[in-house]
Amino acid sequence: MSSTPVIDVERLNLTYGDFHAVKDLSFQVARGELYALLGTNGAGKTSTLETVEGHRAATSGTVRVFGQSPRDRRAVRPRMGIMLQESGFSPDLTVRESVRLIGGLTERTDRVDRVLGVVDLTRKASTKVAQLSGGEKRRLDFATAVYGSPELIFLDEPTTGLDIRSRDALWDAVDRLREDGTTIVLTTHYLEEAQQRADRVGLMHRGTFHREGTVSELTRTLPSTIGFVLPAHAPAPPLPATREGDGRFLVETFGLQKDLHTLLGWAQDNALELRDLRAGPTRLDDVFRAIGAE
Amino acid sequence: MFSIARGELVQIFRNRLVLLTTLVLPVAFSAMFIYLRETFEKVASLGYIAALVLFFVVAIGLYTTAVTTLASRRQNLFLKRLRSTAVSDRGILSGLLLPITVITVVQVAVILIVLASAAGAPSNALLLVVAVLAAVLMMLGLALATAGVTNSPEHAQVTTLPVTIGVLGVAGWVGISGTEKLAVLKRMLPGGSATELVLNAWNGGVRVSDSLTLLGPTLAWVVVAGVLARRFFRWEPRR
Repeated sequence: MSSTPVIDVERLNLTYGDFHAVKDLSFQVARGELYALLGTNGAGKTSTLETVEGHRAATSGTVRVFGQSPRDRRAVRPRMGIMLQESGFSPDLTVRESVRLIGGLTERTDRVDRVLGVVDLTRKASTKVAQLSGGEKRRLDFATAVYGSPELIFLDEPTTGLDIRSRDALWDAVDRLREDGTTIVLTTHYLEEAQQRADRVGLMHRGTFHREGTVSELTRTLPSTIGFVLPAHAPAPPLPATREGDGRFLVETFGLQKDLHTLLGWAQDNALELRDLRAGPTRLDDVFRAIGAE
Repeated sequence: MFSIARGELVQIFRNRLVLLTTLVLPVAFSAMFIYLRETFEKVASLGYIAALVLFFVVAIGLYTTAVTTLASRRQNLFLKRLRSTAVSDRGILSGLLLPITVITVVQVAVILIVLASAAGAPSNALLLVVAVLAAVLMMLGLALATAGVTNSPEHAQVTTLPVTIGVLGVAGWVGISGTEKLAVLKRMLPGGSATELVLNAWNGGVRVSDSLTLLGPTLAWVVVAGVLARRFFRWEPRR
């Protein structure tokens, strides 16, 4: 990866009247990285994303994309593709006309048929946007974002409304773009998508980063869990465990493998069956829930 | 800008309602005025018919359609989509308004040529061209300002009424009663001095230099509309 960041945000502040939506936010995104900007509802991630995209001016602080202000459209937009959260296409234009129009205005060049093939909309090329389903509109949106293979792509909740097949196809397309070195900034409510694909995650809460880092850096701050049900006559488990009712125990641990090994050995020695045994690493969902509980 | 304009042109011809207000209504009413020209000439003058036709086309065909188009493109986030490309704000607005402006100018030109053929040529065609362009510019500015306070295409049916009725009323008032009385008031109202300019251009009898001073109030309205548009125009719907 190049040392010069594609996105460089320094002490970004955004206010709407008295409401301080984003507070002193700083982060960088390196070339080729997939950076997930996640957050609780109203955390300020859409405001942040729109400022980095250049749709919104910062109240204070600096935002640089490719070393330039993202408000300088002629300089920056030919190098970036934006998939908006909502459609924004003219209902009376066809799919082909929409891709040709919006793609052409990015000042990148591409073949419309190629792009439609990427999002599996070739058969809908002559269909008016008004007649597309919600999922097809999302795919059209993705098509205009990847038109001309930009160096940087913003994906704002890209898979919302997509069926599983379209979702897989979209991520396959993203994977291919990443192989070519494309930088991706992602926001999504599907945390498993971020968990699987993000190189780094910025987790926003109340206008600033609650945590930022790789998925493992974020999740290692919370314990993994082992859950199981013991028979009524069983002795107490060998690890500190919380009894949750119906004979179910929950063990929180920062050494999952070692403690699981201990527990299974203990069950073997005592000829006990650990029913409904569940063990797993901490997930982004757990980190989110922890924020909500604070 | 031109690819946006091309897209808008395609949409105008695919949307029957827009087609009706942009093309059919102005042409139909203009045809009626020209057909009944002798009746209107008795009430006022041929210049009056020219002024009414001009303001009917720029108020209904240009102003109302422009406000509706901008509100609609904002409501369905098409404006935001266009702003996510490399085109400047000025380029976006120019592209969106270019087709309807060109259609309006061509319509007015054709209708006035038909009127001239049927009833006699204007005294000063060049002055008439200046009057038409000034009126078009003023209505475009007012459309941008009105679009700022218009939330949706449906809302445009309400927000465009004051200006539409206002300029048509002023054109009728000035056209029939002239500017011998209440001249300052009539010239200051939107469309007042432009109407007088059309009357002078068609009927003659007034020095060109005197007529050109009437451009002042019309262009002042362009400036006022520009300031209002800068203040009120929004690119995204209110959340």
